[in-house]
Amino acid sequence: MKHIVKILTLLVAISALWIGLLQTSIIPRSHTWLLPIYFIVSLGCYGLLMVGVGLMQFPTCPQEAVLLQQDIAEAKDFLKQKGVDVGGCD
Amino acid sequence: MELADKAVGFLLSYISLSIFTYYTFWVIILPFVNNDHFIHRYFLPQEYAILIPVFAGMVLLCFLCIFIGYVMLKSKKKKA
Repeated sequence: MKHIVKILTLLVAISALWIGLLQTSIIPRSHTWLLPIYFIVSLGCYGLLMVGVGLMQFPTCPQEAVLLQQDIAEAKDFLKQKGVDVGGCD
Repeated sequence: MELADKAVGFLLSYISLSIFTYYTFWVIILPFVNNDHFIHRYFLPQEYAILIPVFAGMVLLCFLCIFIGYVMLKSKKKKA
């Protein structure tokens, strides 16, 4: 419940700021009308940028991959001895 | 394998940065430039700056609704 209240207060504050900007016209009027759409588009762009940067910096750890494959082979042998079917998933 | 990931990540960030700079230029800087400057030829008229994001948002919403409806119909058919 508290999370929604926080988000709602943030939205109300931003819209109050925008209406205030409209009334006092510090920035030229046409710019103020376009501001909400501009912020939404830039938020989407920012999300896309974070996804791209995260993809580029993803750590792969090749030694761990080799160890994992060895563990898998070991486990398969052990289970096959005990009689469990390890023929892979379908 | 990681090269493909890096390439996709780089492509995504490049697309997002280019969209951001183009849109910033369009909305914020261009109204202050004289009307007979050459740069106006590279940008569409200003109404499109509002129409294109709203249209893209509508398309996204429609796609989400269609996808949810399709999944619901498929699950109902499987249960019957």
